[in-house]
Amino acid sequence: MKTLKFLVLNPKDTVAVLLENGTKGDRVLVSEEEIILLENVEFAHKVLIADSTKNDPVIKYGVNIGYMKADAPKGTWIHGHNMGCDRGKQKESF
Amino acid sequence: MKFMGYRRANGTVGIRNHIAIIPSVFCANNVVEHIARQVKGAVALRHPVGCSQVGFDLELTARTLIAMGRHPNIAAVVVVGLGCERFKPTELYEEVKKSGKPVEMIVIQEEGGSSKTITKGVKIANQFAQQEVNRPRVECDLSELTIAVKCGGTDATSGLAANPVVGAMSDLLVSAGGSTILSELNELIGTEDMLAARAINKEVSDKVYAAIFAVEDKLRSGCDDRYVGRNELISPGNYDGGVSNIVEKALGGVYKGGSAPVTDVLEYAIPPQPGQKGLFLMNYESHDGEVVTGMIGCGAQIVAFTSGRGTPAGFPFAPVIKLTGNNFMFEKMKENFDFNTGDIINGEATIKDKGKELFDMVVDVANGQQTAAELLESYELFCVARAMGSNPNA
Repeated sequence: MKTLKFLVLNPKDTVAVLLENGTKGDRVLVSEEEIILLENVEFAHKVLIADSTKNDPVIKYGVNIGYMKADAPKGTWIHGHNMGCDRGKQKESF
Repeated sequence: MKFMGYRRANGTVGIRNHIAIIPSVFCANNVVEHIARQVKGAVALRHPVGCSQVGFDLELTARTLIAMGRHPNIAAVVVVGLGCERFKPTELYEEVKKSGKPVEMIVIQEEGGSSKTITKGVKIANQFAQQEVNRPRVECDLSELTIAVKCGGTDATSGLAANPVVGAMSDLLVSAGGSTILSELNELIGTEDMLAARAINKEVSDKVYAAIFAVEDKLRSGCDDRYVGRNELISPGNYDGGVSNIVEKALGGVYKGGSAPVTDVLEYAIPPQPGQKGLFLMNYESHDGEVVTGMIGCGAQIVAFTSGRGTPAGFPFAPVIKLTGNNFMFEKMKENFDFNTGDIINGEATIKDKGKELFDMVVDVANGQQTAAELLESYELFCVARAMGSNPNA
């Protein structure tokens, strides 16, 4: 298990940004809380740091960047497959 | 704080001293390039427009080429026309002449073909070069410096390191009395409330909302159900780099403008009113070349361009400082970069310190220090905007 470098850009954020490639089982330590990666996550991608339920907002830079498409525990990789966004897109399928 | 620049006849200040060879229509591109190649300090402004346009497209062609000719980084201009184009070379010549700088016009159909026009153009441009190229720099105030800020080939390091550093630099320049132009309004969708709240008054706040909503409507109108997969508003490279959607990208992009109040929203290639200073938005979209050309048309003498994934593009007569936050790409494309903010990603430097370091580089470049894109003679960012349909909001 590796302890990964990461950034949490704002204290309100529900995601951390990895500063190196992570493998399933690696961890990030956010405010002394250990969060285990549930899947491989690449450099600069987002990891959920708060257990979330469907339609919860995803917060980065302290701002709402989208919503959860389904329930997900902390340690989940967050990207277009599991985060929706109503701005700038006409359809989910895009 | 001061820098050394070139003061033009109309009082504007340049940081480079080129002779511009400008075709009024694309048919003159080859002649223009032949002239520029033979004259020291000359730059060719090759472009694909000038013929068969109407309405706002023709207005953008005229506005842009005139703004290039009048730009303070240009010492003198040779206009090269064909003779039958819709955007008349005489209009370009007359409008540049009003700025008080030396300008001559040659027309290929009148001169009798390419070779004769090239010979005459080289002679004129060489005379301008002898008059202008050794012009001494004079002391100018930083309030006369305007920087355009842009990101292209974005990855997540742009939003995490390079863009915030550009924003910190911008805040230093604005507090010294200078100006910054931020555009790419399509990439600011989702940040309009934040920007409007920073407007200096209600009128500017309304302009911020109107400009960002207009570009959003335009983008939505361009989406087509037949081409699913071609309707995304962020590029595949952005997405692969960890940026999931337009709002997340916008939040990373808006950092380039720092935290200064928004003075005004400018239209494409139309400079601010005399005396207006500070942070401006320019009403256009994010095509790297078209938007940089518009911001330079608004009077920016220098560009700060962040690129996580790396781009070689430069501008014919304005220095483009290339920054990245991506250590891997900085090493891999080293000759194309001027400044690395990857030490922020490593946790070894702060945004504030790097912002000051970049500000010092901006002043050095204004004083004449060559950028990577200048040393490589890159010119690709000169592109004339298109109206994309009948919408005049370009």
